[in-house]
Formats: sequence, C-alpha cells, structure tokens
Amino acid sequence: MTKKQKKMLLRIVVSAALFLLLEILGVEGWLGLALYLIPYGIIGWDVLRRAVHNIVNGQVFDENFLMAVATVGAFGCGEYPEGVAVMLFYQVGELFQNVAVARSRKSISALMDIRPDYANVERDGQLCQVDPDEVAVGDIIVIKPGERVPLDGVVTEGSSSLDTAALTGESMPRDVEAGQDVISGCINLSGLLRVKVSKPFGESTVAKILDLVENSASKKAKAEHFITKFARYYTPAVVLAALALAILPPLLGMGPFGMWVRRALIFLVVSCPCALVISIPLSFFGGIGGASKQGILVKGGNYLEALAHAGIVVFDKTGTLTKGTFAVSEVCPKGMEREELLTLAALAEQWSDHPISKSIRAAAPAQLDLSRASGAEEIAGHGVKAVVDGHTVWAGNAKLMELAGIAYDESRGPVGTVVHVATDWGYAGRIVVADQVKEGSDQALRDLKAAGVRKTVMLTGDAQAVGEAVGRQLGLDEVHAGLLPGDKVDRVEQLLAAKNPNEQLVFVGDGINDAPVLSRADIGVAMGAMGSDAAIEAADIVLMDDDLGKLPVAVRIARKTLNIVHQNIAFALGIKFLVLALSAVGLANMWMAVFADVGVSVIAILNASRMLKAK
Amino acid sequence: MKKTYKMIDLDCANCAAKMEAAIKKLDGVTDAAVSFMTQKITIEADDARFDAIVKEAVKICKKVEPDCEIVVK
Repeated sequence: MTKKQKKMLLRIVVSAALFLLLEILGVEGWLGLALYLIPYGIIGWDVLRRAVHNIVNGQVFDENFLMAVATVGAFGCGEYPEGVAVMLFYQVGELFQNVAVARSRKSISALMDIRPDYANVERDGQLCQVDPDEVAVGDIIVIKPGERVPLDGVVTEGSSSLDTAALTGESMPRDVEAGQDVISGCINLSGLLRVKVSKPFGESTVAKILDLVENSASKKAKAEHFITKFARYYTPAVVLAALALAILPPLLGMGPFGMWVRRALIFLVVSCPCALVISIPLSFFGGIGGASKQGILVKGGNYLEALAHAGIVVFDKTGTLTKGTFAVSEVCPKGMEREELLTLAALAEQWSDHPISKSIRAAAPAQLDLSRASGAEEIAGHGVKAVVDGHTVWAGNAKLMELAGIAYDESRGPVGTVVHVATDWGYAGRIVVADQVKEGSDQALRDLKAAGVRKTVMLTGDAQAVGEAVGRQLGLDEVHAGLLPGDKVDRVEQLLAAKNPNEQLVFVGDGINDAPVLSRADIGVAMGAMGSDAAIEAADIVLMDDDLGKLPVAVRIARKTLNIVHQNIAFALGIKFLVLALSAVGLANMWMAVFADVGVSVIAILNASRMLKAK
Repeated sequence: MKKTYKMIDLDCANCAAKMEAAIKKLDGVTDAAVSFMTQKITIEADDARFDAIVKEAVKICKKVEPDCEIVVK
C-alpha cells in the first residue's frame, strides 16, 4: 500500500470506531448531529472538498458531488448514522478499488519489465556502467552472465545462450556466438559476450516493444468508447430522474417529501458509472499485458476486440505456414543405398551455391571426402555433371536426364523439386527437395478452428501443385496459388467483400513483402518479427517468435477479454438498474446503493484482473 | 506532433474520460487519449500551437481532478 492508501485506511479505522461508539451510546437530537459530524468530517472531508472544487469549476455530476449530496441529504433528513455509514462504506470501496487498480498496474509493469537498467561499456580499459541511452552505435558493450542485453548489436567475441522468454514467451534458450545478432531484452545465461552496438537505444527492440505496449492503451476498443459515451448520458439521466423522484410523487400526493427524497438520494449514489469506466479498459489492458507475456504484441484494444471476432484467417505460405527453406523431403535410390545416393549427389553438387544443392549437401553424411569429385560442369537450367571416383555423375532435372539419354523415374511423386541422379552405369535414383511445413502449423490451424475461426485460406506465389499439396497437408479450406504480390491484395479484397458482416479477416504473414496486405486486412498479424522493424511497423498484432501456435492463443485471449468485458457490463448495469428500480418503489436502502456503486466496481475490477493471468 | 506525458495521481477513471473529452475539444487538437491504466496522456495536435495546447490540457486536468498532475518535461 502506498502512503496515501495507508492514510486513508487510518481515517477509515478512526471514523469507524467513533461511529460504532456513537451507535452504542445511542445519542440523538442536536447533540447527535454534532457528534456524528465528527466521524463524518474525518472520513468525508476530501470528498466534500473535491465536490465544492468541482462545482466551482463547472464539473457537476462527478462522484464526489453525488456522494456529498447523498450524505448531506441523509443528514438533512435526520438520518445521521446513515450519512456517516454511507460515506464510510464509499471510502472503503474506493480504497479497495485503488488497491486493486494499483496491483493490476504493478503486475502489468512487471510483465513489461524488460527495460535494461544499464550497459557495461569499456572506457580506458575500465568497465563502467552507463545508461543504455548514452551508448552510441558502434560502441562495444560487455554483457556478463545473468545480465540483460541492453542494446541490439552483433556479437564480436564470446558465445553464450540467451533467454528470450521475456520477448517471445519461448522458454528454450537461444545459442549465440561471434558474428550473430543479439536483441535487447534477452537475458545472457552463460558466457561473457562482447557486442558491437548496431542501433541507438531509442530504436532498439526493447524500446520499440515498450513503446508499442504502452501506447496500445491509446487505441481504444469500441466497447471502451461505448462506455465513455454511455457514462456521459447515464449520470445526468439518473440525476434528473432522482430530482423528478424527489419532487413529483409528493406533489401528486403519493406520500411525504422525506420518503421520496431518501429514495432520490439512493438514485444519486447509484448514478456513478465507475465500475464500467474502470473495469472495461482494465480488461483490455490486462488482455494486452497477458498476451505480451506470451510474446504476442497487440497494438491496441481495438485490435484485440476485432481479433475476438476473427472469422477468416488468411495465411501467406512461405515463412508463415512453411519454413521458407528447402530441405530434402524424399530420397528414392535405385540399386544403391540411400546414403550412397545422397553422397553422390552432394559430391557432384559441392561447387554449387543453389539453395537446392545446399539442402542436398545438408542432408548428406557429414564427412565427405570432397576430393573424390572433380571436373564439375554446370549445365544451366539442367543441373550439374561431374566425375566422382572416375565415373561421370549427372544430377539435375528431367531435362538433364533426357540430355544424357538416361531413362529415369517419371512417376509423379510428392510435390517439390526433383533432382534425378545418374551415373555412367545407369539411373541411380531421385531426391526430392521441398519447402518444409513448419512443425506445429497443422496443430495451430486445428486450434484456430476450435477457437471459432470459420475459414482458413492460403495465398502463395508458388505453383498450384505446391500450394495445393501444402493446403491438403494442413487442411486449409481454400488455396490460391500462383499469385503475384499485387494479386494477394486483390484476393484479400475479394475475401473482405464476401465475408459475413460481423466477422473480421485476419491476415498472417512474415512481414516481408506483405505490408500492403497486412494493412488492407482487418487485422494484420506479422510473425517471427523479433528484430524486424518493418514487420512491427506494418502489423496490428505481432508474434515475436516464429511459432504459429501463438495465433490461436491470441484469439483465445481476445475472446476471453471480450467475455469479461461483456460480463462486467451486464453485471454492473444489471445491479445498478435493479437497485434503481428497487429504490424507486422503496425497497432499497442506502447500503444497497453504495454496494451498487463501489461494491460493483471492486467486483468488476477483480473480474477484469483475471485477464492478467490469461493463458 | 504527437507526444505522451506521464500523469501522477490520476485516481478516477471517469475523470480520465472527462479530461480526454475536454482536451479533444481544444482548438488545434487532432486526437487525445488519457489512459487511466497506464497513467499517461497522449496529445496529437498542431505543431504551432502545441505548447499552448499542453498548457491548456494541464489546466483542464487540474480542473477535473485537483490532485492530478501532468509531468511536462
């Protein structure tokens, strides 16, 4: 508790004790008024002060004013104990509310505790700690084990593993060594690293993420706007109703003024919209905070709200559903061992930089005697021809086999690029190289469907056969292949035009070359964005690591946030209108009214703070 | 120009909404957001009148919640 809150607690305890004493003594009349004013003053002076201040400044209908009128009104009706008790209860509720909000703020800032405090810079042979802001690009910083990486840079010396959990939610440490990039916000786990700084602190990953999460509160969701607007009309409306309730029925001869004034005072207490005004933004903020803990950055409450209504999810293929790197997916040797075929192909292709050659070399046995091959000759558009162990070896596509006059296996195999291998004694078999589907992609797609996504679509610039194969493998609903970058925008436009009015279209890409589509979709999601500024800029939601499985998590968090928001709106308004109705017919008392005000606020805040722990 | 300032002792969420509404109405302000949760105010306004607008915003906040302060660096 802060000092302010402790002081409040003391005031509550003292005035509650005095109040109980007076209740036991049972004082009445003028003496009672005088004595009851003491605990009332102790507990309520600041409310009265603010009420007066606000009226002077033309701010009526504020909760201080309402509480002041309600309690002074109670005193006026001769209900001194009630006047004190209501103020007391109100302040207890306010204190609860303050503590609850402070706790949520704290746990959110703990989530975002990735700001580095210092950087170690070597100056005149001495290590000194400086503010990360003061480190210039090109400086060498030293990161000891256990320290946070303060700035983005490139390792010049040392190797270590980094804990990226604070950024990506991924608990697996990442190994780095000289020449590799490190990203600020990670924690150095094992070795000493020397890092050459590549960006000033203001542009570093950490600064960008913090900025993004902190600014997310300024992009408000529709529900938040609704509440603000609602609050503007609700309070004056209830106050006017209270006024009418105090004056009209007695004039119509429906009972004494005193009774109706008391009922009207109850109206005033209920008229504060605080429960909603606090708990709705808190829910969104908690949802955004909970998501960022998982490595999902959401740029605003509006996007979280939209994501909860995700109906169509459109994926870019390469880099999103697939790894975007080639790897050997199938080896069909003929008349030799698998290893032997790979070795032959790798030896023949050892001089080629083509991605396909590289992937074959990567799949071949590790220790190759490269000197076994010689006389390599690249036949453009066909493949290579080389001499291995004195025999001619061809490795390449079907055209190469035809050129060499060798009968080859023409059957349709799995999708990918086929490398046929032949030697001068005949066909040796084929190796299929294909883009690899990311592990977890299929699970992520199933989870999205389970989370309520109606349709999944894949867009790709690849050939129809490749696209369809990936689509079948992952169970996508629609595949559009052979698209140029511009076509992707058109496709998304078509999908947007055809979607149901209440659903949102999500586009997921890796942030490279798909900025126009990211911004055209209702929600643009960039993944694998750690360290990629362009992706962070263009997208509305950023998945920090490469794991597509975070997308269904994000949808679930969004749905849960909206659920809590709806619960709170229904609960708060339900209780308030119930108490209003009851008090109009004389069935409610002040206590119920105060509960409907601060009690409901506290419960709504507690409900909203569940979002902070969302999984 | 768009700038964000810290706020101290912003204790009332309804006040935050009121401040926001009032600041948005200031001449030259394109957008304003007061976040009760982060205790921050973001003002987007004309460069020429920016300083004057910030001063007015500080006044508005004082009016709505006397204990609340905007930290103008």
